[in-house]
Amino acid sequence: MVSRVRWVNATLLIGVVVVTLYPFFNIVARSFSAEKYIVSGQVNLWPKGFNLTTYQIVMSDPVFWINYRNTVVYTVVATAISMVVTTCYAYVLSKPHLRGRKVLIGVAVFTMFFSGGLIPQYVLISNLGLTNTIWSIVLPNAISVFNLLVMKTFFEGLPRELEEAAAIDGMNTYGILAKIVLPLSKAVLATMVLFYAVSFWNSWFPAFLYLDKIEMFPVTIYLRNLIAGATGAESAGANPDVHSEIMQVASNIQAVTIILTILPILMIYPFVQRFFVSGVMLGAVKG
Amino acid sequence: MRQVTRRHALLTFGALTLAAACSTAEEKPTAAAKGAAMEGYGVGKTFKAPQQLTFPILHNIHPAYPVKDDWLFWSELAKRTNVKLQTTLIPFSDYDQKKGLLISAGQAPLIVPKMYPGQEVPYIASGVLLPVSDYVEQMPHFMDKVTKWQLQGDLDTLRQNDGKYYVLPGLHEKVWSDYSFAVRTDILQELGLQAPKTWDDFHAMLKAMKEKYPDEYPFSDRWGIPTPGGAFLQQLGNAYGTNAGWNFANGRPVFWDDAAQKFIFTGTMPQYKQVVEYAAALVKEGLMDPESFTQKDDAANAKFTSGKSFVISSNAQSLVNDYRKGLAENNPKATVVKIPVPVGPMGETRTGLRTENGIVLMAKAKDDPNFAALLQFVDWLFYSDEGQLFAKWGVEGVTYTKDASGKITPAKDVDMVGLNPGAPKHLQKDFGFGNGVFAYGGTTALLQSTFSEEELEFQNVMNARQNRPLPPPAPLDELEQEQATLWETPLKDHVQQNTLNFILGKRDLAEWDAYAKELEGKNLAAYVDLINKAHVRFKEKHG
Repeated sequence: MVSRVRWVNATLLIGVVVVTLYPFFNIVARSFSAEKYIVSGQVNLWPKGFNLTTYQIVMSDPVFWINYRNTVVYTVVATAISMVVTTCYAYVLSKPHLRGRKVLIGVAVFTMFFSGGLIPQYVLISNLGLTNTIWSIVLPNAISVFNLLVMKTFFEGLPRELEEAAAIDGMNTYGILAKIVLPLSKAVLATMVLFYAVSFWNSWFPAFLYLDKIEMFPVTIYLRNLIAGATGAESAGANPDVHSEIMQVASNIQAVTIILTILPILMIYPFVQRFFVSGVMLGAVKG
Repeated sequence: MRQVTRRHALLTFGALTLAAACSTAEEKPTAAAKGAAMEGYGVGKTFKAPQQLTFPILHNIHPAYPVKDDWLFWSELAKRTNVKLQTTLIPFSDYDQKKGLLISAGQAPLIVPKMYPGQEVPYIASGVLLPVSDYVEQMPHFMDKVTKWQLQGDLDTLRQNDGKYYVLPGLHEKVWSDYSFAVRTDILQELGLQAPKTWDDFHAMLKAMKEKYPDEYPFSDRWGIPTPGGAFLQQLGNAYGTNAGWNFANGRPVFWDDAAQKFIFTGTMPQYKQVVEYAAALVKEGLMDPESFTQKDDAANAKFTSGKSFVISSNAQSLVNDYRKGLAENNPKATVVKIPVPVGPMGETRTGLRTENGIVLMAKAKDDPNFAALLQFVDWLFYSDEGQLFAKWGVEGVTYTKDASGKITPAKDVDMVGLNPGAPKHLQKDFGFGNGVFAYGGTTALLQSTFSEEELEFQNVMNARQNRPLPPPAPLDELEQEQATLWETPLKDHVQQNTLNFILGKRDLAEWDAYAKELEGKNLAAYVDLINKAHVRFKEKHG
């Protein structure tokens, strides 16, 4: 009986794994394949017409690396800012004796459901003089309310006695946070760093809105332009003399760019995984 | 992730700019401020500003030729016209979205290129766009081409309810036909057939192919997403004298009946029924792959290049880049050509606009001290023969050469759409010419300067066909437009759904009358009436 359940489980899970991984391996195979095989739909899991020239082409484009560097900078700075603000906010909210706590929570939650709309937001950022600066990327989305609530729940679960003891020993609020609470919250911190870093790494919309210089774009915009641009509205009903080039750059360069873009964040995952699992679980159970 | 929907954008910016609209909408156009305008500018003259000017412009970042500061285009432009363009850059992928946002927020640069007719409509009410038709007298090259090529009718299709137009479209000398069908000529030879001239021939050809290869669908089509049968039905509709496929999906669902001088509903026209019957017969007889209407382009291409089908929709570009390339790999003996569009009951005629996407100017431009110069500059760059040749081909002796007959050849070290494959430099990537932002329309000679011999042959056949009259304008005011959209969407959806069902045999063609009845129930009469009233009103008011 047990073994049968196991078999069913295994088959199901392997099925899920295949469905999940197939597109990924397909992209990897495409990235090493010759364009003509991709166009005629012959590339599945194994590269055909193996070559590395596409990697060389993409990696020799200076704009790609400038944008790549921007992504790294934006991700690091934005994650750092987000972690500081979110932690402070969440810690404060986790204290039941805080006056006006409900209002503060309300303010945060309100933004989950309502926003000013795209154009007012754009006008705001541009009137603040933030367009075409790194601040337009790292400030507007510094607090993710979802992450804030997860963190708040985690802090609420920490034994109060610890903090009281520290207070009796003469520590102030900041000391307690820095020396007692945070060291005990490594799991949730790691999880939040991962959440924030991944979302900033993947994000393109704020950059698209607020930046209009190539040398400031993150790599996601470079990638999106390459993919959506080549398959977008203009390729149907377009002007063959002007746009024929698009079809040629398309598939294998796209694949290579995708691989290069997701690689770093993919490599971080296994290392943060153990915090990640325990962190999310902890928050959930205690909540 | 947030998406800007049109409604979203409309609502927000409507509220924002209401005040601005009230104050500017009533202003009468005044003579343009002189500023740095060039004295004695006219047809055949090169615009040169008397002092150095800078004009802001929106520009996309094309994935195939991303903008570079050292493009010869910029420096040569400054040398010739004394104008420097200051660009706001937007990724090509989401150009329309940010273009709309910047216009709505009132922060768009004065010159906004790549505006497709119809896209400008949501911004007109707020008064941010310049009603450019009030100023075209100051654009001699534009006026010259409109008169010379008799484009007034084409321009009229752009007019809004106030009788003005806001887009300066790219102007073509002739209608440009590009889409047709790619056919395997080696199979034709094998069967002893000629390339089909009429739609009956087309049917017969597919039938002969099916007899020889009973296991395959001879015709498996692409360009079915998002409009099922987009290209195929459009061609068929043109031949029968109605709007189908892309033509139906991209416009209003009404057709101008020139004899009756009024608009009629497209989806119930007898001609439309004939189109549906023709396509249904192909599917029923196993000549056309039923997946044609739903499969992705890649799937259709793969069938064609692997020899599972012998006919597919094509344009000049896909013939070379998709089919020949793919076939060369799988079946080097296969030969394929793009046939002239088959002819139907309408005979050797075609329809089409000679205007394409173009530029809009922001209303705030008219307060610019150099407004007159701006108009002259736009006129020269986008509409003069010299400007168009410059934007497309660059500088003679550097990027191209011209022989005595006027034939243009790219310079030896310059590649342009495969005309000089393997050359170390590329006209678009390295010099910034042939850039979709600046190169639109132009004379047929200029358009065809990049065409291959075989494409020229196709063009010659197509250009010999007579153009049918264009529908007259019937612009709606804002309230009417809202009402029209509410009726139009369900009507179009119903037509498109049932077109597909009839063709695929999911619904019996005997039910055509029932289908027409269902459309009646969706306010068909009221909708058509609204359009006809708008047409009459426009005619009375603006001639």
